[in-house]
Amino acid sequence: MNSTSTEPARASAGAAAAPALVIRDLSFAYPATSGDGDQPTRWSLTIPRLEMARSEQVLLSASSGAGKSTLLSLIAGLMDPDSGSVEIDGQRIHALRGAARDRFRGARVGVIFQTFNLLVGFSALENVMAALYFGGVPEREHASRARELLSRLGITREGALVERLSVGQQQRVAVARAMACRPALVLADEPTASLDPENAGVAMELVQGVCKEQGAALLCVSHDPSMAARFPRRESLAGLSGASAAEDRRPA
Amino acid sequence: MNDWTIILRSLRARLFSTVTTVLMVGIAVALMLVLLTMRGAGQKAFERGSGDMHLLVSADDSPLVAVLNGVFYANPPRRAMTWAKHTEIARSAPFAYAIPTQIGDNFEGIPVLATKPEFFTKFRPNPGEAWALADGRFFEKSFEVVLGAQAARQSGLQIGSELHLTHGMSPLPAPKGEDHDDHEHDENVHNEFTYTVVGILEPTGGSHDRAMFTDLTSSWIIHAHEKRKRAAGAEIPPTTEADLTDADRLITGMYLRLITREGSDVASNLPQVFDQLRRDPTIVVAAPRQEIDKLFRIVRNIDTLFFAVAVVVMISSAVAIMLALYNSMEQRRRQVAVMRVLGASRGHVFGLIVTESALIGVLGAAVGVALGLGGSMVAAEVLQSRVGLAIDPSLPPGLILYMVLVSVLLAAAAGLIPAMMAYRTSVAKNLRPMA
Repeated sequence: MNSTSTEPARASAGAAAAPALVIRDLSFAYPATSGDGDQPTRWSLTIPRLEMARSEQVLLSASSGAGKSTLLSLIAGLMDPDSGSVEIDGQRIHALRGAARDRFRGARVGVIFQTFNLLVGFSALENVMAALYFGGVPEREHASRARELLSRLGITREGALVERLSVGQQQRVAVARAMACRPALVLADEPTASLDPENAGVAMELVQGVCKEQGAALLCVSHDPSMAARFPRRESLAGLSGASAAEDRRPA
Repeated sequence: MNDWTIILRSLRARLFSTVTTVLMVGIAVALMLVLLTMRGAGQKAFERGSGDMHLLVSADDSPLVAVLNGVFYANPPRRAMTWAKHTEIARSAPFAYAIPTQIGDNFEGIPVLATKPEFFTKFRPNPGEAWALADGRFFEKSFEVVLGAQAARQSGLQIGSELHLTHGMSPLPAPKGEDHDDHEHDENVHNEFTYTVVGILEPTGGSHDRAMFTDLTSSWIIHAHEKRKRAAGAEIPPTTEADLTDADRLITGMYLRLITREGSDVASNLPQVFDQLRRDPTIVVAAPRQEIDKLFRIVRNIDTLFFAVAVVVMISSAVAIMLALYNSMEQRRRQVAVMRVLGASRGHVFGLIVTESALIGVLGAAVGVALGLGGSMVAAEVLQSRVGLAIDPSLPPGLILYMVLVSVLLAAAAGLIPAMMAYRTSVAKNLRPMA
């Protein structure tokens, strides 16, 4: 199942360009949390190796509670691993500190959430512009770039508050926002879970299409079986973790 | 897109909580502004009016009533003094002035003080400041009227205007069975005698601004005429000064000032003269400053109550702000987490939230200053019409600045707590789909 060793050869962006994502010996142990009853449980996440070429699209399946959100947070640099490294577009994200890491994430990583997490009280246009602002894009480019992207994604009511848009439209705004800074890597966390099957299909078509157009790699986490056909490369969290995946129950 | 757009959109997203919080801050600020301004201005206005007089003599029931009636025109004094008594008092000590006053008539509700020309030449409405005319001259003979600054504004009378006084607020002991309550009743208008406006005064900031002043002799004449007409039961030829008897020459008060050394306001023989006058049971002697202090001791209790109410409002608005922040916390945490994912640093988000809270303080202070200005204008109007206190309704700029500063700092401080929470917030935890 682990096919990472063959993937870099197929990278399309040329020899000089770094892969979109390289994970090496990543390990993270959750702080003890109280589980059912009085047995505190300790979970750990281990990814010996995962590599994604530029523009590559990978589907990662994970049963709920297996640590997919943690993995995405680690990749995005929102959490620090206990050991190992995450390299995005040639930059080890955890080597960056504080504001520099936030800036790098804003510029190079796009995130699409299951519940979209759009900024309430902001218009569709403003949601995309906020991403450009925090991603460090000069202010004069905000409006034109955001408009272009929204119209590419079929949003016509760009001035409407996001909470007034339909779910399908909100999803498109979320995609536009994730793509705004032309990231090297897009992380999608159950991107279609809030949509009906028909809309889900359309949305995935859109996400995958835009990522291809912009040359962004896409790591899509989902346990929706209908997604499998859309991705030539499929991984599972359990498979990535290999034998070392551990659920270590200890008495109190 | 910039920080300001983000802050404004974020305020709009919580519009209800933003508006209620701004209003709460505004009301608290306005209350404090009005309270602090009125406290200072009220005392100042009270301290004026009595001017540079040392003692006030009248036949009222108590010294405090004497001051309220004789200086602040609260009510017409109920009892009169004879001219003989005036002469006796004026000769009893070395007075710089002993000015007779008579209050009782009015013109369209504006109280009329009948007095002698010394009122303008010797009495000073504010210590060290003589009367000043905005227009015309002081009265020189009978049936001439000088208007206080506010009385002129209120009545619309000008130099040369003619008017009739209403004998409504009967200052003189009324014969039994006579009903003098109806101020506007035609029978009470002194139609036979026409007064002419000859002067308009500059404002003094005291109670005299809302009064008009005329010659004592003319006042005696019109009241004597009424009396003679009633006695005769028919129309009679106009009364003149020659017809006046001692029973007609009545006054309701006297402004007294002892001789002092040049530039000094202190007369060493004041306690002695005060005691001596007090022995006369037919009159009441008041030291206006003391009475005003006494009044303020009474008012201070109300003032303390008012202050307590303001503090309670401040506390409850602080609680409301906290509640508003707490209620928006869930939404705010999510918003903060999203901005972090989009590339905002912890410091940036912290700054955004503190600035947003401070902006609520600025808006609240602006609302408060507007409400405070309106409130103090209303308060000044009420005090003017009900109590006769001339209060400057404008708010001192220093006080405004201070209140704005305080509310902005307080609001920013209130924003520190959510900002700290946002600073520490776990991005991953707050981006999970809502349960």
